[in-house]
Amino acid sequence: MKAGLEVHQQLATTKLFCPCPSELSEQVERTVRRRLRATGGETRALDPAAKFESALGYSFLYEVVPTTCLVELDEEPPHAINPEALDVALTVSLLLHAAPIDEILVMRKLVIDGSNTAGFQRTALVAVGGWIDVGGHRISIDTVCLEEDAARKVSEAGGEVRYRLDRLGIPLVEVATGPDLTSPEQVRDVAQAIGALLRSTHRVRRGIGTIREDLNLSIEGGTRIEIKGVQELRLLPTYADEEIARQRLLVRIKEELHRRQAPPPTGPIVDVSELLKDVTAGPVRSVLKTGGVAMAVGLPGFHGLLGRPGEPGPRFGRELADYARTTGVRGILHSDELPEEGFGAAHVEQLRNRLSLGKDDAFVLVAHANSAKATEALRQVLQRATAALAGVPPETRDPLPDGTSRFSRPLPGRDRMYPETDVPPVPLSSEHLTKLGSHLPERPEETRARFREQFGLSDDVAALLLQEGEADRFESLVRRGQPPALVVRLLTHDLPAFAATPRTEPVPEPSDDLLDSVLRALSSGQFAKEGVQPVLEGVLLHKRSVDEAVMSAGLAPMSRPELEALVSGVLDRNETLLRTRGRAALSPLMGDLMREVRGRRDGKEVAQVLERALIERLEKMGGPP
Amino acid sequence: MGEPTFDPRKKIRSLPVGTEVELTPPDGRTWHGIIVPSTEFSGENIVVLKLASGYNVGLEVTERDVLTVISKPRRPRTSPTVETVSSPPTEPWVALLTTGGTIASRVDYQTGGVKPVRDEREILAAFPALDAEGPVHILPVFERFSEDIVPLDWVALAQKVGECFGLGAKGVVIAHGTDTLGFTAAALSFLVRNPPGPVALVGAQRSPDRPSSDGFTNLPAAIHLARSGELGEVVVVMHDGVSDDRLAIHRGTRVRKMHSSRRDAFESRNAPPIGYIEGKRIELGGEARRPTGSPLRIDARLDERVALVTYYPGLTPVRLRRFLRNERGLVLAGTGLGHVAREHLRGLRKLIEGGVTVGMTTQCLEGGTDPYVYATGRDLLRAGVVYLDDLLPETAYAKMMWALGQSEDPARVRALLLEDQVGEFVTRRRLEDLP
Repeated sequence: MKAGLEVHQQLATTKLFCPCPSELSEQVERTVRRRLRATGGETRALDPAAKFESALGYSFLYEVVPTTCLVELDEEPPHAINPEALDVALTVSLLLHAAPIDEILVMRKLVIDGSNTAGFQRTALVAVGGWIDVGGHRISIDTVCLEEDAARKVSEAGGEVRYRLDRLGIPLVEVATGPDLTSPEQVRDVAQAIGALLRSTHRVRRGIGTIREDLNLSIEGGTRIEIKGVQELRLLPTYADEEIARQRLLVRIKEELHRRQAPPPTGPIVDVSELLKDVTAGPVRSVLKTGGVAMAVGLPGFHGLLGRPGEPGPRFGRELADYARTTGVRGILHSDELPEEGFGAAHVEQLRNRLSLGKDDAFVLVAHANSAKATEALRQVLQRATAALAGVPPETRDPLPDGTSRFSRPLPGRDRMYPETDVPPVPLSSEHLTKLGSHLPERPEETRARFREQFGLSDDVAALLLQEGEADRFESLVRRGQPPALVVRLLTHDLPAFAATPRTEPVPEPSDDLLDSVLRALSSGQFAKEGVQPVLEGVLLHKRSVDEAVMSAGLAPMSRPELEALVSGVLDRNETLLRTRGRAALSPLMGDLMREVRGRRDGKEVAQVLERALIERLEKMGGPP
Repeated sequence: MGEPTFDPRKKIRSLPVGTEVELTPPDGRTWHGIIVPSTEFSGENIVVLKLASGYNVGLEVTERDVLTVISKPRRPRTSPTVETVSSPPTEPWVALLTTGGTIASRVDYQTGGVKPVRDEREILAAFPALDAEGPVHILPVFERFSEDIVPLDWVALAQKVGECFGLGAKGVVIAHGTDTLGFTAAALSFLVRNPPGPVALVGAQRSPDRPSSDGFTNLPAAIHLARSGELGEVVVVMHDGVSDDRLAIHRGTRVRKMHSSRRDAFESRNAPPIGYIEGKRIELGGEARRPTGSPLRIDARLDERVALVTYYPGLTPVRLRRFLRNERGLVLAGTGLGHVAREHLRGLRKLIEGGVTVGMTTQCLEGGTDPYVYATGRDLLRAGVVYLDDLLPETAYAKMMWALGQSEDPARVRALLLEDQVGEFVTRRRLEDLP
């Protein structure tokens, strides 16, 4: 495999072309409805991706939040580029040994899926030709760009897509590596290293979705595919593995089609509703019963290449279905998965006859209320099947939570870029670059070394803090007088565990002040470390003060006599266990006890009290110690 | 081809746009791209290259750079062409008059600005489904930004509108820059009398080279309205709100651009719009004027010798006189109910005695003028100033030119000004019509 990465990091400055805060909001004030149309750029040629999206004919509903101004709504020209954001991008460039451009020109990148109200994303190339060393390999950095983030997709239904405008315009630094990555693990390591470098500027946003990766990958005989917007860094190797498998399958299918001398599929698309009227189950039956149609098309030479549902690994049938779905149909049925229940072999045979198919040929079926929609869906299927003769079609793909990806749109070309004439060019003076260069932030590897020396952290722990993006918070909390070990535990154990708990509502990022007060309460003995999770829940989800959270979680510390009484009760209830296991009963009893103590007393102390009481009890019972 | 040249700064400037070059500065990096026009704000020694990624970069060329020409410019791709109708078709048709302006413009990548298109076919290329409901006859009248339009252009437009109706158009659409669209709409209202169908002025606040252009909604809606034939007056069709789903139909004499950039910049003052368009549905209010059946008349006489002056504290009589050379008319946008400083009383009286017609409007834009409430108003009225009720200053300016074109006699001009010609006075202003 050959892969490159584009790392997109949101900056914690105001927006790139207006003075709005870079904050997300749940407070929707009103909505605005818009449509977008594909337009030609400088060369007046239509970009394939833009044409594709325009053909979908979507209408867009934009949610306006309190932080939205006229610029995000495309009701006012963009302001000059945010100089603070530009400085962060330049600092990143210098950290990556990349050379800044003499005069920065803002471009419009045509994107008409509605994620930008203007129909284009503003982006500027800031620097080129750098490198970063990761795991003993020098990885080339092709470009560093500064661009505006897109609006947040909220929902999509019935040809209407809803976006929220809060994210639109947040500055993004985009770091693109060369196609130097050769293994799925290296993809992840490089992403982590670039992430740590970006965070070392201390000017980036934190939290889910504030850093996103595009993975560009191809294999021998395959094509460059872009998997766009991966938010889960740890899944990067999985996406790479799945994409390798998918491209391998497509290359095999291409070879097989050539061996079978399959001609390009051209149709015809045939209405087969009449043949299928007595199908007794599944989507075909429900669509036909409600007055819809079933349309089918033959795919010469594809028999056995589409795959069966439930089969492990990638399947070509899914590729066809992804294309069909862009027209709004729910899915397809194909000959490799038929017959099925209620759709008998006789139906399959009739269909094959009607479409005049040979034994090597496959067919695809779409049932829909509207025959034009079904026909359009099958045209997409034909287009995708035709592309299979050439191997892997260039695509932008959406990452899915299971590590696979789904077709999103054709890969855009350079025709989608044209100058943003509303924003003047920005000349970069060498004085300014020199000034930035002499104030570069500490590099991640320097921070790691300093953490070892200054705070006595092990190298692994220091590396973990940087990898998790917690270096800043660690330092801030330790400087407030918190013990390093306690802070490390909070940042690398308690907080990630808290964030990993599934919840319906989003969890706000805790401020350093808040974490400081939690730690203060913990180290002053208001609750034990086992109580950190419930306290975090109280302060973050229920907006309680730390004291209130401790109280309401029932974590007010237990007095020593209370603890001793609890221990004695546990021993009473478990006499049989004591008899059979003797001192070995300690560990199961400890588990029971901790559940009852629930963080109201330190675990170590609980263990001591229990052990002493257990020994006394065993002596009393007269059994062997 | 391929050999390095001597002074790369001179050489690169001599190369035509579209040349593919390789530029190697002393630091050893190589830039490979196509020369594109640099922007007018670019630095002096900056050359702009379009890289393979599509990005443009501004590079400072020094004498130590190595410049290699890779290939000459390729023939530029031509824009898609669409056949235009050369003679009026037999089915009901709509005339589309183009005048330049954002709706009929595209980005000029050389200057970075927006420029009028030179070829009306480009308009149809930019608006593919424009003639979906029937033929649209495109007639370029002139190509100017609306800030460059002069009163004589209004006359040319009025005559063109007359010709189109004469040839049987069901309605006429005028694509116009938005900056002075309100002026043109007001002027045409007085120049084009008894139109047998709608005369709809339309513009765009975003140029059609942007996917989000409001022109994609405004222009088809204006053509749809024109084809309906349901109105007999001059109107402006633009966005009613910032959404793309509803458009307002404004009476030409009451409409004003009230925002520099929003899609819903156009507002009717003192009264609601006379109608709305939502999708294919046209909804006309009771005030909308239907075709009367009376013969169309083009009143192309216009006297341009009119000044429009907004009063401001510090505008002395001496300064005011500088606006006036041989003017026959003066429209004042006065303060409040229609006032200027009392020191102007003598000068204005002298002007009026000399045959100049002085009209008074309010710079408040909302509400009417009234000379009777304050002493200044009463004195101005006695001096002969014509109080024009709630006419917008721009509408009063256009109406003054039209009225002066009709008569040499100040008394007659005054009468024409005070008479409602095309529904320009609102008179009954309701609480709920405040924006």
